[in-house]
Amino acid sequence: MAQNIFIGKEPMKWGFILDEGKMNRDAKELLAKLHISIDPTLIMKSLPLSKQQMVEVAKALSYDSEILIMDEPTSALSEAEIDELFKVIHNLRDQGVGIIYISHRLEELKHIVDRVTVFRDGQHISTDPYASITLDEVVNRMVGRSLEHTFPARSSIPLDTKILEVKHVRRAGVLKDISFDLYKGEILGIAGLMGAGRTELARAVFGADTRDGGEILLSRKKLQISSPTDAIRAGIAYLPEDRKRDGLAVKMLLSENVSMANVDEVCGPVGIISSAKERRASERFIRDLAIKTPSIYQVVNNLSGGNQQKVVVAKWLFRNSKVLLFDEPTRGIDVGAKIAIHELIDVLAREGVGIIMISSELPEILGMTDRILVLHEGRLEATLVTRHTTQEEILNYAAGLAGKTEAGSVGLPKTTAAQGTHT
Amino acid sequence: MIDTTTKRADGHGLEVTARSGRSGKALDKMITFGAVIVLFAVFSITAKNFFTMRSILTLALQTSTTTLMGIGVTFAIITGGIDLSIGSVIALSGTVAVMSAIAGVPIWISMLIGLLVGVACGLANGLLITRLKLPPFIATLGMMMVARGIALTITNANAWPAPESFGALGNNTIFRIGSQFPGISYPVLIMIAVAFIFHFILKRTRIGRYTYAVGSNEEAARLSGIKVHRVKIVNYVFCALLAGLVGIILASRMVTSQPNSAIGYELNAIAAAVIGGKSLMGGVGTVGGTVIGSFIIGILTVGLTMQGANYFMQQIVIGLVVIGAVAFDQLRSRK
Repeated sequence: MAQNIFIGKEPMKWGFILDEGKMNRDAKELLAKLHISIDPTLIMKSLPLSKQQMVEVAKALSYDSEILIMDEPTSALSEAEIDELFKVIHNLRDQGVGIIYISHRLEELKHIVDRVTVFRDGQHISTDPYASITLDEVVNRMVGRSLEHTFPARSSIPLDTKILEVKHVRRAGVLKDISFDLYKGEILGIAGLMGAGRTELARAVFGADTRDGGEILLSRKKLQISSPTDAIRAGIAYLPEDRKRDGLAVKMLLSENVSMANVDEVCGPVGIISSAKERRASERFIRDLAIKTPSIYQVVNNLSGGNQQKVVVAKWLFRNSKVLLFDEPTRGIDVGAKIAIHELIDVLAREGVGIIMISSELPEILGMTDRILVLHEGRLEATLVTRHTTQEEILNYAAGLAGKTEAGSVGLPKTTAAQGTHT
Repeated sequence: MIDTTTKRADGHGLEVTARSGRSGKALDKMITFGAVIVLFAVFSITAKNFFTMRSILTLALQTSTTTLMGIGVTFAIITGGIDLSIGSVIALSGTVAVMSAIAGVPIWISMLIGLLVGVACGLANGLLITRLKLPPFIATLGMMMVARGIALTITNANAWPAPESFGALGNNTIFRIGSQFPGISYPVLIMIAVAFIFHFILKRTRIGRYTYAVGSNEEAARLSGIKVHRVKIVNYVFCALLAGLVGIILASRMVTSQPNSAIGYELNAIAAAVIGGKSLMGGVGTVGGTVIGSFIIGILTVGLTMQGANYFMQQIVIGLVVIGAVAFDQLRSRK
């Protein structure tokens, strides 16, 4: 870790021998400034993502920089860590360091910024002192049109039919005996803090990671899921948190990504791909999902985050998936595209798809879901009905403060939920 | 490891720009193909007898082995791997075929046995890489030594003469017209057929699509339900199958078992694939590009020989071409 902080400017003895002692002492000192105590000799990989992020900040500080550019520094941090980071940022500001803070979490702005600059489509839109502008105005400028609702009015109604039943899923040290049901047309949120096991739960259901036990039933039929291939064949799809890393082959074409999970469908006999079938499929989804792209032969890397997410959705719709597991569906996506993705999720639910949505953004969870599973340290802490709950209640369960009361857990959801509880 | 974690921490929201789609790739190919034409023209003017039917046919024959190997290794390279065992697999399958023929097995069956030996080597490579999770570099490095050792063992390090009819595949020609036209060698026809077949496999079939998907993003491919292991194994089998084919062609041309043949040939094959595809990072490469790459190497070799440049000089020039091709591509994509 210390090596990471001092890479390229390692303290030297006699000009060429690494002074590891000094490096580790300096590293510790820097981290102390950030109020974190980590052993500087640890390997980076062994740290949680949030700690890695803090080390990254420490590295930036080690340059004694006058200007610090932070690109979404909080995206992987928990609330407590974010507060720490903000303290550090304030400190730096008071020491005269200029900070450019890039963020899509608008709630953060009030804690740290003095002036706000809005960019849209690569163009500078405005720069104002924070005090003289409201968040609504910022959002309007980002989108370029005025937004009445941050979340779409839900048009989908969960049905009484169970589509997915997850029973006693376990994974040593990560998931502790988790059971839940998902209904047709339902949007089920999964909330929890960083490291609570949300992604791990989705991946276990999808067969991407091994399980130590538990059953998964789809439409009352027991599934043998030992790999993603099994889950996909049954009609379960997983849309990963990090699209570029896990979801898309970014060097490949849009059309190739759309058909990736279902090449058989565009194949003629003996495994020869029909380019006409492939083109028709891509064109259909470009139209249905309103994907903005110059052509189906566009390399996915050149699409915006929102459109990339739509390509991932297209991939799974082309597979006729019955259950979609969205992991942070709108992370790193601009506000306009976010709304489009939210509307899309609602439409899918209306068509009877069962949807599980993992999100770190509570307004998103509250605005979009019918019920919410709250995880805490790998345990299912509560199942809440969205329109009867609040951010505070979710956070209490997520932090493990509410004990193990089943107060919030209710059976069948019957009604359309949630005009978003906005911040 | 350290590198990947840092990348993950600050790579979020990173916008990577790349040249767009088909047109960029087409332009690349035009440029490489243009280089072939220019080279050809230069040697036609400067080297006596270069632009004659006979030397062109020689060029095609000499290039056929590099092309076949190069096509094979292109599959390994697209998945982000490499195959260093090609030269040894060539020697092993060639010697096995010859030894079988000497033992009285009909010629075509002994050749088939040679091919199957190649397939077995590829299968072993693939299993080592996927089941034991060995890096391709290490697995195929081991195979390089093992296969060579076996070839030397079964021949006792000798060059055994094969039955005369074993030489037909490597030495006969077709479409011969008296003394005017010496005819096209079988290896050249095989090269053309293989190039078309494997181009088709890569571009138009499921396994070809999976090959690119695995090379572009292995985890995304796995999460899309693609059986990544199976795809990789098939790719190493393709590579070794073509190496086996080259082994049989070479053994046939020599009409002997040559346990010490083809040492280091894999590097020529990789050079051809790199000149054509410009990358070892995976997800990139085409059969067409590799064929062009092989011909660039072939033209340089034949042309420089005719100009009187010695082998050492040729090596220097080809090395510079490999570096130059990739450097040029890097400079271009930086714009």
